[in-house]
Amino acid sequence: MLAKYLVRRFFASVIVVLGVTLITLLLMDRTRGTYVPGIDLNPNLRPDDIERLRANLGLDRPFYVWYLTWLWNVLHGDFGRSMIDGSPVTSHILDRLPNTLELTGTAILLGVLISIPLGVIGALRRGSKTDHTLTVVSVAGFAVPQFWLGLLLILLFSVTLEQHGLPWLPSSGATSPLGGGDVLDRLEHLVMPATVLSFFYLSLWSRFTRSSMLEVLSQDYIRTARAKGMGERRVVYLHGLRNALIPLITLVGLELPGLVSGGLVVEVVFGWPGIGRLLFERALQYDYSTVMGVTFFATLLVVAGNLLADVLYAILDPRIRYA
Amino acid sequence: MSRDGDADDKGFEQFERFLEHWSRRDFLKRTGGAAAYMAFLAGGLEFLEACGGGSTQTSQTPKKGGHVIEGNFTDIRTLNSMLSSDTASNQVIGLMFDGLLNYKKNGDLVPALASDLPKTSSDGLTYTFKLRDNLKFSDGHPLTADDVVFTYQLAYDPKYKDVASPRRGDLSKYIASVTAQDPKTVVIQTTQVFAPFLANHALYGILPKHVLGDLDPKAVNTADFNTAPSVTNGAFKFVKWEKGQQVTLARNDNYWNGPAYLDSYVYKVLPDSVAVTNQLKTGEIDIGPVDPGQFDAIKTATNVVTSEFPVPTFTFYAYNLDPAKLGGQLFGDKAVRQALLYALNRQQIVTAIFFGHGSVANSVEPPTSWAYKDKPQVLYSFDKAKAESLLDGAGWAKGADGIRAKGGQKLKFEMITNAGNKQRESMLTVMQQSWKDIGVDATPKLIQFPQLVSQIVSIRTFDVFLVGFNWGADPDVSPLYHSRNAAPGGFNGADFKNDQADTLLDQALNTLDRSKRKDLYGQFQDLMSDQEPSPVILFNSGIYGVNTRVQGTDFGPFNQFAQRPWNAKVWVTDGK
Repeated sequence: MLAKYLVRRFFASVIVVLGVTLITLLLMDRTRGTYVPGIDLNPNLRPDDIERLRANLGLDRPFYVWYLTWLWNVLHGDFGRSMIDGSPVTSHILDRLPNTLELTGTAILLGVLISIPLGVIGALRRGSKTDHTLTVVSVAGFAVPQFWLGLLLILLFSVTLEQHGLPWLPSSGATSPLGGGDVLDRLEHLVMPATVLSFFYLSLWSRFTRSSMLEVLSQDYIRTARAKGMGERRVVYLHGLRNALIPLITLVGLELPGLVSGGLVVEVVFGWPGIGRLLFERALQYDYSTVMGVTFFATLLVVAGNLLADVLYAILDPRIRYA
Repeated sequence: MSRDGDADDKGFEQFERFLEHWSRRDFLKRTGGAAAYMAFLAGGLEFLEACGGGSTQTSQTPKKGGHVIEGNFTDIRTLNSMLSSDTASNQVIGLMFDGLLNYKKNGDLVPALASDLPKTSSDGLTYTFKLRDNLKFSDGHPLTADDVVFTYQLAYDPKYKDVASPRRGDLSKYIASVTAQDPKTVVIQTTQVFAPFLANHALYGILPKHVLGDLDPKAVNTADFNTAPSVTNGAFKFVKWEKGQQVTLARNDNYWNGPAYLDSYVYKVLPDSVAVTNQLKTGEIDIGPVDPGQFDAIKTATNVVTSEFPVPTFTFYAYNLDPAKLGGQLFGDKAVRQALLYALNRQQIVTAIFFGHGSVANSVEPPTSWAYKDKPQVLYSFDKAKAESLLDGAGWAKGADGIRAKGGQKLKFEMITNAGNKQRESMLTVMQQSWKDIGVDATPKLIQFPQLVSQIVSIRTFDVFLVGFNWGADPDVSPLYHSRNAAPGGFNGADFKNDQADTLLDQALNTLDRSKRKDLYGQFQDLMSDQEPSPVILFNSGIYGVNTRVQGTDFGPFNQFAQRPWNAKVWVTDGK
């Protein structure tokens, strides 16, 4: 059953990947106008030079031809070279990916570890001051723009602390420029961006855990457990939380693509050398090959993340069966 | 592949960089960017040159050791001087590779690898360079005339046509041959007398033939050397490049000008101008450009010395003069162009929008140029009455709706600039209001920078555009004003065609004598002050912050990224 399901999902995934990459290219192509990456401002170009460069980049052909050529090369393992700097797209991705995974992985982990206890506390003390405070904080987590929070943290934990002669945190980059790179150094750089990024997840998931927990706690089997005289602690953690967490897995699974793309704003604010920033910058420069390479890669991860969440869901929740 | 004899080949270099700057700035609605060469500019902060009046030289004795971290907004792309086409790359290349010549901060040429300025033949076609004694690459291999010949061959010799050098356009046009007369003598034979040749083309970093010489032309484009040069000839050698983050360099003990004081030099990529200000304050970076809007924030920091100086950059707007377009019908009469300029209170623009960091422009040459004429024939101060009388005189009478019209044609048009540049957005609003006051209906429209560029250089359906422009050290301004450059792809998007202007520009380009050139450019500035096809609103200023522990820098209008003859002389007081 599962095998059949996986095969079907695989084909659906192929369509998703094709669709996403095609739409990405279409959007870039439709907004590009007559612009050709890297040449328009050379005062010495004659029209035929521009044509030649356009042809070199493959921009003289309709976008679907460009797309098919690109697809053909990708299927043969060739992601091509950046239209801006000429270096291989794969090297761009591989250089940036570890940094992004470090940042978003930490943020998601922090989010999960902190949001679950907060959600449980909120559910158990429903209507209390603690619950209200947590509600306010999580609403703020949705509402506060990440770039604003990031700038504020920089101002406070880098600039202000430094001016008062206190220990302070570095405000940009993933490592110190000189002699950096050890675990402690990376952690120092990671604290602020990971905090900002996890704040969003935290808000989302703690709210979700809270309501899911409330729902479970009102179930008959919880009443039964209590009636049996089972300790409250066992009721909450063994019977309540385990069941309440199942839907959360889907939610976290849906955020897995964020491992690649979710950190864009944070990466920009903190000068984090990640893949989201690469994608953003190159999209604005119409660097088709880099954008397409990153998009392709990110889409694969999205599809894989969703699939993983679904499969996990089935394993954890015996009520779910694939047909 | 060169279209035009006068234009500077470096168009490539600026262009990509603007996009990067523009992209980030657009995102956070702040500015940050840098231009080392002639080009249109996307942003409000177009200068990474540092302290003009403020060289940080003291009487202290320099110490060996320590490091300097310089902040910038853009990652580099290549470290090959003949492939580089953006200023960030050029800056880092400049730390590692010297060319034959270099610039002083006022734009004058000084010898670098050459022992002196070259001898120019009497016909002005041949330049003979003598190299310094005992030049060596960082690996100890001698640097000879062969290396110079090889470097230039990459960009002009048909044999190397597969090398994707952005310099090929100009070099293949102007260079007839580059030959090594003996190991220390290089002779460059040019195809025509071209005054800016040395200023534009004698500064390229010289590459090691013993490393790259055996590669076939195509392989040069993708050589490992381009991302990790194993051998350099400048003040520093390459250590590592962490993409999107920083480039680390270390002292080159074989540098001709003596080993650098610093152990290492780091080029650090930052998100934006706010980050630069913050990190100058925290000391995370030692050197960085300061946005006018951030100036007050940095002024109070005791660990940072700021200084401000004029840069070869101006902000201007241009009328579309193509008779076939709407603009041509509205602005064909110079009285209209003049009237609109009289109606602008440009001092107020400088004060309110640029916080006083800039100056009202009287000329089309930037004040940093030796050819600058501060008082050309016609000067424009804010004069609304004069503006109205000029329009009245030209037959543009106010209608019932308060908008002027002539022969049924309303004086109504659209102004474009790039979205995300707050200063330019504000300027368009000011222009709209000022012109409304004299009965002119101008509507601002914001578009993305690549689209703005396309409008200026090729599409040209605009009525008026507003943009910044950065000039090189040579006073040649033909890219914007010569009729030849009105062809598609050229910078003369205004379609300004004036025989007298063309003649003056051509004469100045084919004259090597500086005082004669200055006279010609003086006449040209007079002419332009009368014609005003694309009025310059203001000359921009550069502001730079340097940590007090850093000594020996000597920045100025033309000591930009790649042009820092004092690289090896920078030192830090704390030795760290």
